[in-house]
Amino acid sequence: MVDETIAGVAGVNQGGRYISGDRSGRALLVIGALAVALVVTALVSLTWGASDASALGLVGNWLFGAVPGQEALSVRDSIIVYDIRLPRVILGILVGAALAVSGAVMQGLFRNPLADPGLVGVSAGAGLGAVSVIVLGSTFLAPFTALLGSYALSLAAFAGGLITTIILYNVATRQGRTSIATMLLAGIALGAMAIALTGILVYMADDRQLRDLTFWQLGSLAGATWMKIAAAGPIIALALAATPFMAKGLNALALGEATASHLGVPVQRLKYVAIVAVSAAIGASVAVSGGIGFIGIVVPHLLRLAIGPDNRYLLPASALLGACLLLLADAVSRTIVAPAELPIGIVTAAVGGPFFLWILLRKRGVVDL
Amino acid sequence: MIEARQVSVSIGSKRIVSDVDFTVRPGELAAIVGPNGSGKTTFLKALTGELAYAGSVSLNGCNAASLKPWEAAGIRAVLPQSTALSFPFTVREIVKLGVTGGRSGVLRGEDDRLPERALARVDLEGFAGRYYQELSGGEQQRVQLARVLCQVWAPVLDGQARYLFLDEPVSSLDIKHQLIIMNIARDFARRGGGVVAILHDLNLTAMFADQICVMHRGRLAATGSPREVLSDDLIERVFGCRLRVGAVPAANVPFVLPQSAAA
Repeated sequence: MVDETIAGVAGVNQGGRYISGDRSGRALLVIGALAVALVVTALVSLTWGASDASALGLVGNWLFGAVPGQEALSVRDSIIVYDIRLPRVILGILVGAALAVSGAVMQGLFRNPLADPGLVGVSAGAGLGAVSVIVLGSTFLAPFTALLGSYALSLAAFAGGLITTIILYNVATRQGRTSIATMLLAGIALGAMAIALTGILVYMADDRQLRDLTFWQLGSLAGATWMKIAAAGPIIALALAATPFMAKGLNALALGEATASHLGVPVQRLKYVAIVAVSAAIGASVAVSGGIGFIGIVVPHLLRLAIGPDNRYLLPASALLGACLLLLADAVSRTIVAPAELPIGIVTAAVGGPFFLWILLRKRGVVDL
Repeated sequence: MIEARQVSVSIGSKRIVSDVDFTVRPGELAAIVGPNGSGKTTFLKALTGELAYAGSVSLNGCNAASLKPWEAAGIRAVLPQSTALSFPFTVREIVKLGVTGGRSGVLRGEDDRLPERALARVDLEGFAGRYYQELSGGEQQRVQLARVLCQVWAPVLDGQARYLFLDEPVSSLDIKHQLIIMNIARDFARRGGGVVAILHDLNLTAMFADQICVMHRGRLAATGSPREVLSDDLIERVFGCRLRVGAVPAANVPFVLPQSAAA
């Protein structure tokens, strides 16, 4: 038996036997802990805000009805909790989970811990779609926005992300095989093109649109409504529901596409499903919350340090931790300059960037990038 | 049985492998030898479906090109020359990837200890908890072999022979582990499976192979038993250097052959 302190990797004690090198038990513990943390964070988020409406009071009302001797939740409080805070918390959970899981799936697909939907132009493409609607919504795209109303932004972002991904896939795929290097480079080129087009649109925008654009690009969960959840929720939920079926294949893919195929993984189909799921989740997230960075890179990276790279555990854990962190970042963004709000993208980048650098410096030599 | 008929492979406009015929029966260990760049690995990649080819390849009578990845994975396992890994997996996690397809052929309930058994076979007992990236090249190669063994643990499953494709399985190993790995391959063949291995060491090849296929400039230069194939003429023609088969160095020059290993 190898000395665990030297090996640096713990095993687990399963049913009384110790299995060296098996981190599944630890991973399940972490997932359990994260699930509890998410529930607590969500309840705190429901309580924390400019008004003193309390989520605990709310839960108490649900469970026991009005407690004798205590006033029932006032109408004003319940409006604040149900129509303002609850949609915001649910949107935060959806977007945080989508960003983190999309990052983990992309990293597995590209076999590179630095891969991120932001990196291969998917976010930029989704952003272009959304900016088009903001700037051209009352002129060129007026029929489109008139037809779709408040769904126009979501659908345009989703379409932008999907179109980018489809172009990317067709550029990088030859004879049924996708070259990861070509895809990465093509993604960077597509991202640059989308950003250039977005820049032209920004140049054309008037003052009011510019202000909208700036805030949207920085990312925010403010303005979360049940309608936004209805537009983005099903897309994100469907994409997330597809990821457990990719986990084993993504694990095998860590050994290379050829070896994954020799192990019995239908690699082309896996890549296709993963790409569609990621662009759907990212498109929907970008549409409702703008550009929120670093969740997709930091969350899977942290979790790999804690529970290892096995996607069967990494994907659900990423969803939970991503949701948790985004709710926390949102709590910071709406209290740090209260009563105003700081865009959440600034918070995630300001905290996530240095934190990520610190991880890299601390772990240099152990984690091979 | 593995049957390759008139297999040719072109990469871009360059033809790498031309019209190779090749047959491996269950119970056989076939070695592919030849100089660098003679098309050995390319031919092996055609056999395993990694590269597109002209001609035909069949595994146990099924056209290999029409097998789904998971069907092929139940019939054969492939050890590549080298494997780069991008995430910090432990040795056990890597070996366990071998059971991804779920057709190892061990009894239900025994397969959760299969990684440990496979590691013990390649002389890596106690390495399960180490990080793969911390191991030496030779140790990593043996971890990959343990993974491959997990995939087709039983050489015969449901009455069908299964196959190992090994691309230079002993190239970075010391002599002790070369012998251990070659014995694993021979044992796999003895128990009814088939093995195709690319080898560079002609002495090991002569010692373990039932059949040698010599490749030269993308073509099959010779095929047959070691006794039939290994001749002075062939070695000079294919490898371009004059060597004498069976010649012993002068009495005062030490030499060590794998054949002298105690059983």
